[in-house]
Amino acid sequence: MSEGRVRNGPGRTHVGNVPCLLLAMSLWMSAAGATETSRDAETGLESWQADTHGIQVRLTQISPDQARAFYQARGFTPEQAEDYASRCVFMTVVRNIGTLPIEHRLSDWRYVVGDGPPRTLRGKAEWDAVWVRRGVAEAARIAFDWAQFPSTQTFHAGDWNQGMTTYPLPRGSRFNLIVNWHAGDAERRTTLENVRCADETP
Amino acid sequence: MKLRSMMGVLLMTAGMAALAADLPPLSHSLTAQAAQTPAPMLALKDLDDQPHDLGSLKGKVVLVNFWATWCPPCRREMPSMDRLARKLAGTPFVALAVDIGEDADTIHTFISQLDATPSFPILLDPHARIMQTWKISGLPTTYLIDSQGRIAYSAVGGREFDHPEIERQVRALLKP
Repeated sequence: MSEGRVRNGPGRTHVGNVPCLLLAMSLWMSAAGATETSRDAETGLESWQADTHGIQVRLTQISPDQARAFYQARGFTPEQAEDYASRCVFMTVVRNIGTLPIEHRLSDWRYVVGDGPPRTLRGKAEWDAVWVRRGVAEAARIAFDWAQFPSTQTFHAGDWNQGMTTYPLPRGSRFNLIVNWHAGDAERRTTLENVRCADETP
Repeated sequence: MKLRSMMGVLLMTAGMAALAADLPPLSHSLTAQAAQTPAPMLALKDLDDQPHDLGSLKGKVVLVNFWATWCPPCRREMPSMDRLARKLAGTPFVALAVDIGEDADTIHTFISQLDATPSFPILLDPHARIMQTWKISGLPTTYLIDSQGRIAYSAVGGREFDHPEIERQVRALLKP
């Protein structure tokens, strides 16, 4: 198994005052140039991205207010939406930037806080069980289901998908996300390091 | 714009910025499906309550797009799907957009925001049941069905449907 890593620590290079598209972003590139951390100048929200072995994985912070607004607009009560928004929420994008098909299972992903043990992510089925118990309307549950990152999926060249992933961590917490996938017969892994949960107000 | 319509737009777009942040660009090709398995059943009503059945479209090339109004790449790719459909008007090409889990009012609100009303039918799957039949994991997902009712191409994630490469793939299937 091979591993690519996000470097957003002391070794990163700051790229500032660049024109056009990058004006809206503060962008830090790793020394290798393959991975990056960025901050949206307008929203203050941060992203972490790794490009390795034919895959692009990107996490972008979703603010608590954005999560509340999205789910309340789709039929969740404020209390139900708060169950979700109280967690650390990220827009998660996986894209096949190589030539081999990529297969992933969210149950193979792990997040690690400090020196703690690797933990699994809560998937769609577990969330749905929560919403059924809470009496969330069917239409809201359908919207929720499709807004989450898929539990399992195959991406051919050029395919990509997005969805939310959650982590039961306090605001501002940091963690590493270990992403495992298969490309052809090869088992691959990359780690997004030092990812940070959004603050209550970015 | 009427107050109700304005409220609808506000509700539809609430929190959308979170979903739309930093998305990849629309891709420019479809993935060939070597197995060419028969397309599953698809029989749904459109926004005008008119029935549509994929099984009755044998002999035509059909683009089946699964989407929802809250899905940013779905919203981004839909105008290109309309441009392709208009470009291929007069050929045996049919585009069908299947909305997942939403009602007609929500979709009408979305359509009112577009520069042009889609030239293809928008079908409703309010309980998301067809998704299980088609084994779809995420939105948008698109299939190109050949004239014999087989899945010839697929696409997961947003596409620029009127890109020359995709148009070439569609036209190749349209050849007798």
